[in-house]
Amino acid sequence: MPRLDFTRSITTQLAIANAAMLGATILVMSAAFYFGALSALDRELDRKIVATSDRLISLYGARPVSEFAQEVVSDLRGDLDRHFEIFLVTDANGRPLAGNLSRSPNGAAPYGRLIKRQVVRAGRLTSARLFVRQLPSGALLYLGRDLSEEAPIRLLIWRALRVVVVVAIALAVFVALLFRRHIVARIGEIRQTAAHIEAGNLRSRITISGDDEFARLSHDINHMLDRIETLVDGVRHVSNAIAHDLRTPLARIRGRLDEALRREPTVEALRVAAGAAIEGIDELVLVFQQLLQIAEAEAGLRTKSFEPLNLSGIVQDMAELYDAVAEAQRVKLHVGSRNPVWTHGDPNLLKSAVASLIDNAIKYGGPGCRVVLFTYCAPEGAIVVIQDNGPGVPAPEISRLAERFYRVDRARSLPGNGLGLGIVSAIATLHGGQLSLANLRPGFQASIILPSLPAESAPRFAPRSVQPS
Amino acid sequence: MRCLLIENDKDAARYISNGLREAGYAVRVCADGVDGLHHAVNENWDVAIVDRLLPGGVDGLSIVSKLRDLAKTTPVLILSALSSTDERVRGLRSGGDDYLTKPFAFSELLARVEALLRRANGMQETTQLQVADLILDTRKLRVTRGDKPIPLQPREQRLLAYLMRNCGHLVTRTMLLEAVWDCHFDTQTNVIDVQISRLRSKIDRGFSKPLIHTIRGVGYLMGERA
Repeated sequence: MPRLDFTRSITTQLAIANAAMLGATILVMSAAFYFGALSALDRELDRKIVATSDRLISLYGARPVSEFAQEVVSDLRGDLDRHFEIFLVTDANGRPLAGNLSRSPNGAAPYGRLIKRQVVRAGRLTSARLFVRQLPSGALLYLGRDLSEEAPIRLLIWRALRVVVVVAIALAVFVALLFRRHIVARIGEIRQTAAHIEAGNLRSRITISGDDEFARLSHDINHMLDRIETLVDGVRHVSNAIAHDLRTPLARIRGRLDEALRREPTVEALRVAAGAAIEGIDELVLVFQQLLQIAEAEAGLRTKSFEPLNLSGIVQDMAELYDAVAEAQRVKLHVGSRNPVWTHGDPNLLKSAVASLIDNAIKYGGPGCRVVLFTYCAPEGAIVVIQDNGPGVPAPEISRLAERFYRVDRARSLPGNGLGLGIVSAIATLHGGQLSLANLRPGFQASIILPSLPAESAPRFAPRSVQPS
Repeated sequence: MRCLLIENDKDAARYISNGLREAGYAVRVCADGVDGLHHAVNENWDVAIVDRLLPGGVDGLSIVSKLRDLAKTTPVLILSALSSTDERVRGLRSGGDDYLTKPFAFSELLARVEALLRRANGMQETTQLQVADLILDTRKLRVTRGDKPIPLQPREQRLLAYLMRNCGHLVTRTMLLEAVWDCHFDTQTNVIDVQISRLRSKIDRGFSKPLIHTIRGVGYLMGERA
């Protein structure tokens, strides 16, 4: 795959957005700080100018102009440099009497308001904030401060802010790039596994490190891959099975028919051959049906027909189906508890699973054995148990029992095709449960563990299990 | 008996129609859905056998639904190569009366068609079933043959009742499995054979006339015959 266009990379976009956000945040914060702080300072100074001019006028305003000027000079001498860089007293004609301005500023009106004016101070034109009051005598009092001295401070703050913004954005970009590298590396692991899978190595899995979002995603993907692998294995198994276990009987049927035709065919011989062929085909159809059933169950296609059902009822029904077979084999078939145990499922599939386990118990437990069936509700779910006290199964073979077409050596002489437990296992899995097999001493136990249905969501009455005949 | 067969597979259609004709039915074969729908709707039939997958844009289930929409009660047997429970349930929900999966034995088909006809012609609910000297009282749940009471388990009684209701007619193992045990799955059918042989040992042993007869490779038949 070609390298990702830089501008299309989500991580790049994230990094850019992140840096931009950070920059904007710093800008807004600094602006708020800058304007907030400076304007507070300005307001404070303005207030002082107004207050001082009020004070001066109330103290000395009644005196003659020349005397007023002197009083003002002496009064302000102390803090002139600190706050009131500018002051000027003029007579009614605008002639300066005292102060540090070379001449009175043009257009000083309106009086009694803070204004911004160009003034000449020490022979230099400068910008100033002024407050002008007129005395009863017609004289004017100018109080104010030189704004030009503030400019370097403002500049300094601006510079500092600019540096902060640039450094912050650079840091943000750097962190974002690190982050991007990290994410690309993590995604790389997933992409690499995907590439392996695509190349046909279905066993490949993502290595999981840590417990972050990617680890969880990888975990989920691995789970999905497990499931896919099982399904693919299932399909492979089925095709192997079809190749082997369907071809052999087909060859046998074909051979018999061939033979019947080759010899001088008598009606009777043909009849026998046709009968045998039909029997063989029926068996094949059954195997085929069962394989389909496994494949369907494993593909999880049957969940539509699920309904609440009572496992004890199913066990009872199937026990009543197999009681005659048990009797004929001198097997004691005993149904334990009859308390309802509720689960959610397909009645026919579960019946066929239970039937298959009972059939196995009778067949492999051997004549004269005892088969016990019971159902119960446990914390791990609704459970059906089928026990026999026969010889059990050689321990190493237990784990292979549910494989398709697998048959224990001893069982090869008995009728069957090795699909039974595979189907039961697939049915249990389809219901969100599992089949568990174990040796007892003596005997063998098969349990189907299904998710239980809480009693309150079970139907008030058992669903109709009887069809009108 | 007039039977409409809607089946596009020529061999299967010939196999079924020949068998039905031998059994005394008048059979009309339609090879596609449109034709089948036309005949199903515009004529009266005693029974219809409908394949699910049909050419011509009209499938078997929609023919059945259409029939039911028009309030026609013609008994319908649905044939299909789709065997899962879901498909079966869909078939019956759309209005089919029975569902048979391919491949099947003709005897199975015939037994089911006849059961449908019997059901359609009304089977009166009686409290007492009787075949020769065998009597099943469905209310008191008591079985007697001659004067001798025969103790049966409840499920055996249901099996016997089904056989007696279909007295004189062939019932197949799968029909028994469905009707008596409500099982719609393929299982080793010898389970049914063993059930029947146990029932037979209870009601026929010690009597001169056997009432349960085996039709080899097909099923069972209840009745008096030599």
